[in-house]
Amino acid sequence: MVEIRFHSLGGQGAVTLIRMLAIAGDKIGKEVQAFPFFGAERRGAPVKSFARFDDARIDVRSQIYIPDFLVIMSPTLMDLGLSEGLKPDTVILVNEPLEDAKAKYKDINHTLLSVDATSIALELNLEVEGMPLVNIPVFGAISYATDIVPLEVVTEVIRETMGKKNMEVSMEAARRGFTSVLEVNGKAPARRRKPLPEVAR
Amino acid sequence: MKIIDTANHAVAYAAKLARVEVVSAYPITPQTQIIEEISRLIDEGIMDCEYIPVESEHSAQAALIGASATGVRVFSATSSHGLAYMHELLHWAAAVRLPIVMVNVNRAMGPGWNIWCDHQDAIAARDTGWIQLYCASHQECVDTLIQAFRIAEDHRVIMPVMVNYDAFVLSHTYMKVEFPEQETVDLFLPELDPMWKLDLDNPMTHGSVIYPDDYEEVRFSMQQAHGNARKVISEAAAEYRVIVGNYHGDLTEEFMTEDAEHIIVAMGSIASEAKMAVKQLREEGLACGVVRIRSYRPFPVEELQRVMRGKRTLVVIDRDCSFGLEGALFSDVKAASYGHSDARAYNLITGLGGRDITYGLLAGAVRAAVEGKAETVRWPALRLNEHHLASKRGVEAAWQGRQKRSAS
Repeated sequence: MVEIRFHSLGGQGAVTLIRMLAIAGDKIGKEVQAFPFFGAERRGAPVKSFARFDDARIDVRSQIYIPDFLVIMSPTLMDLGLSEGLKPDTVILVNEPLEDAKAKYKDINHTLLSVDATSIALELNLEVEGMPLVNIPVFGAISYATDIVPLEVVTEVIRETMGKKNMEVSMEAARRGFTSVLEVNGKAPARRRKPLPEVAR
Repeated sequence: MKIIDTANHAVAYAAKLARVEVVSAYPITPQTQIIEEISRLIDEGIMDCEYIPVESEHSAQAALIGASATGVRVFSATSSHGLAYMHELLHWAAAVRLPIVMVNVNRAMGPGWNIWCDHQDAIAARDTGWIQLYCASHQECVDTLIQAFRIAEDHRVIMPVMVNYDAFVLSHTYMKVEFPEQETVDLFLPELDPMWKLDLDNPMTHGSVIYPDDYEEVRFSMQQAHGNARKVISEAAAEYRVIVGNYHGDLTEEFMTEDAEHIIVAMGSIASEAKMAVKQLREEGLACGVVRIRSYRPFPVEELQRVMRGKRTLVVIDRDCSFGLEGALFSDVKAASYGHSDARAYNLITGLGGRDITYGLLAGAVRAAVEGKAETVRWPALRLNEHHLASKRGVEAAWQGRQKRSAS
């Protein structure tokens, strides 16, 4: 089983992201489970979300405390994300420019990857009421960083689930997210692990 | 058709497949997305159904009773305080014997205000006469809802059915669901053949005064209906398996119970988590199994008597508390297995108000029970930390201050 925990802010689109990620996982033949934990349901409040992918039926119903991947969608949530549980080989993906991440996270002993999803969203005018919609570039970045779902499946899901208005620009955002993942601390090379075996689609 | 979606959305579509003719609901908190999705399906012409929005859950149930009495298939959904608010009408629906089907998304009761999962809401409605079914997966929510109409409308039963599933853990979680074809559902669930209905040509009254001479007989017939429902629930599950192909158990679902020495009993999604605990405990050398209660009323008495025979330990997980005693399910399981099992019985009251319960925690608590290191009734996830103790000290200080003031 592969488990991912997300820390985001209300309005960043994490629930849409985990839903699309689950649909993508199903497309490559995985059993999937994705759910948010809402505290106060409002813009700007911290939200935790979870996603599981497995080859067998998923019976577990609890939250994820030691994830394989930790996705931090706002730099303000890094401390919170780290404090809620990791395992030694958890890979962390943070939405933050590389230089900022390099300066701030010298003490982190995990493989740390950065993607500047906020800039990608702003370049492409992906905003809702002034808040950059970082979920789509992060979707692309997750595809690169985790190797669970290939980029073609990511764009396929976007094509199927997004409205016509935002479809093209969202696919571009996902592609830019995918190609913008950078290694922060050199604990491990930010190259993709060996690809998953082909599963009948 | 296959979707990746929440149980709420899946169940709305299952209601459409069941050819529900009237839905009545109060669409505001604590209502769920089931009703929102059904109103969308009706609005877009996908679902042919009358939707009656009302001003409260009390009225929602009243409208269901009225609609069902005219001999049509009715459905609604509610949650926590909504279920509590319609409590009086729950008795009404069961006592006039109407085959109403309703989803209750299990949520904690306030105050303190809490929208998350536990079973206190449904447990408080236990003795209304409604059949109560509990689900542990998205697919089971869909399949059980379709089965619920068959059970409710069977002439040996004619009782309202409440389909329960856990808030957020199932209701707001995205998982895979496969829907049967409409023709397949129609094969399993024929048109409603009402045993009685309001008829202008043959006027009669229902639910009026009953004197002591007759009241007890009416109540006895409700108990008999529940007795019959045991058979009908199993039949519905078996036929659904043949026609649709899915099966989630009868009144219970058993997991690794055959060679087990220690049995965990639970209902809802935490029973699924308990399967993970069993796998872990078996790796550690403890022969454990899970009995998941699918039908809480009627209660699976014979199933529990059979499975508990010769077992060493019983651990019952309650997502509720019958204050002043213990978990409600614990009492029921002990009562059912009385005289049939010498197992030492333990109760875990846990997962209240949406507290996240992991299989690791369950495994630890079960191990403690098996080793005889646990109290009979235990709250294994309790965290009496500085925050809780400070508030306790605050109350004590305020109380002492008041006593001092009244003494002087």
